[in-house]
Amino acid sequence: MELGKTLVRVRITGQKVARKVGVVKKTKIADLLKQLGLNRETVVVKLNGKIVTEDERLSDGDSVEILPIVTGG
Amino acid sequence: MLKCDFCGRHAVYNRRYAGVFLCDRCIIKSVERRFRRAMGKYKLVSPGERVAVAVSGGKDSVTCMHLLADHCERKNCELIAVTVDEGIKGYRDRSMSIVRENAKLLDIEHFAVSFRKTFGATLDQIAMLAKRKKTGLNPCTYCGVMRRSLLNQAARELGVDKLSTAHNLDDEVQAIMLNYVRADFSRLYRLGPGYPSREGFVPRIKPLREIPEKEVAVYALLKGIKVHLGVCPYAGGIHTEIRDFLNQLETNHPNSKFMILRMFDRMKPHLARSVPEFELCECKICGEPTSSGMCKSCELLREFGLGLKRKTIISGKSR
Ligand SMILES: [Zn+2]
Ligand SMILES: [Zn+2]
Repeated sequence: MELGKTLVRVRITGQKVARKVGVVKKTKIADLLKQLGLNRETVVVKLNGKIVTEDERLSDGDSVEILPIVTGG
Repeated sequence: MLKCDFCGRHAVYNRRYAGVFLCDRCIIKSVERRFRRAMGKYKLVSPGERVAVAVSGGKDSVTCMHLLADHCERKNCELIAVTVDEGIKGYRDRSMSIVRENAKLLDIEHFAVSFRKTFGATLDQIAMLAKRKKTGLNPCTYCGVMRRSLLNQAARELGVDKLSTAHNLDDEVQAIMLNYVRADFSRLYRLGPGYPSREGFVPRIKPLREIPEKEVAVYALLKGIKVHLGVCPYAGGIHTEIRDFLNQLETNHPNSKFMILRMFDRMKPHLARSVPEFELCECKICGEPTSSGMCKSCELLREFGLGLKRKTIISGKSR
């Protein structure tokens, strides 16, 4: 692994597989969302099972669940 | 872990437009307070009234039903729920059972009305016809017009005083922008927390109008409300582009959505004298109120040889 990088497990609700994503150490969830092309207004994020704000920072081995909330209809 | 600015507990939501972090308890309280404030400020429901809530099964409408159920109990109002089954395979069929489950939990009478029974075709069939006939209209246009008409008919037949929809802040601001982009003055003018009664139209209320979509979602999750999170297969087009644009704007410039809403609400009284007065008459086909001889719904359906099949649209009810 690159120096200063950290690996987090990311699962988007509704998608079957989780993936490992490499981010810079202490990255905010908001930046992870940007990296994934997601807008923070359209998701609710759980960090290690708890609903959190996108301003929390990630550490190695964290598990992130992203719940898309914009469904229309 | 970040802390709630009000009580110091673990924060679950950053209300960026106000610059505050909120915990589970404080966001729940705040959403409920805003709901009550809208009900009071705009006098959306009076004690003793009979109210119908349109429920699709999505987070907004199910949450709205829960909030209204509590409110109606306090204010001695009667609440019933109505679901429009547009006939979207794999989408509406799944959400319908979620509505039923919630209605049962809250002990609310639930009615279902359908495009197929009323208009003679499902939205899936209409979407196919529109494509084949190259009408240039997307399914959302048909769906919006038909749903509006059907909900009004159902509300009238059910004898309710108010019809509540679950439009949140995001929906309302999207509608404002869409009507700007389309230069649709009369539709723009009609937007607001409540739509005043006119002959034949059941007054509409939007108690979630000042609650951002994300706050509704967080509230529903925290309260453990069971909702359908499926995405409508017809979503797309200009609606989606405007939504994405507004979300980008809000992310980069928090409070933009509220500013657009507040500005519109300030301008609205000044627009009144520019809105042409028009007489309402009954649609010669379905009897719904319209300003011309035929309502928009019948006009759209005539192209396919479809239309209102029956005068009475509510058949069985489920409880
Ligand atoms: Zn708190
Ligand atoms: Zn008609």
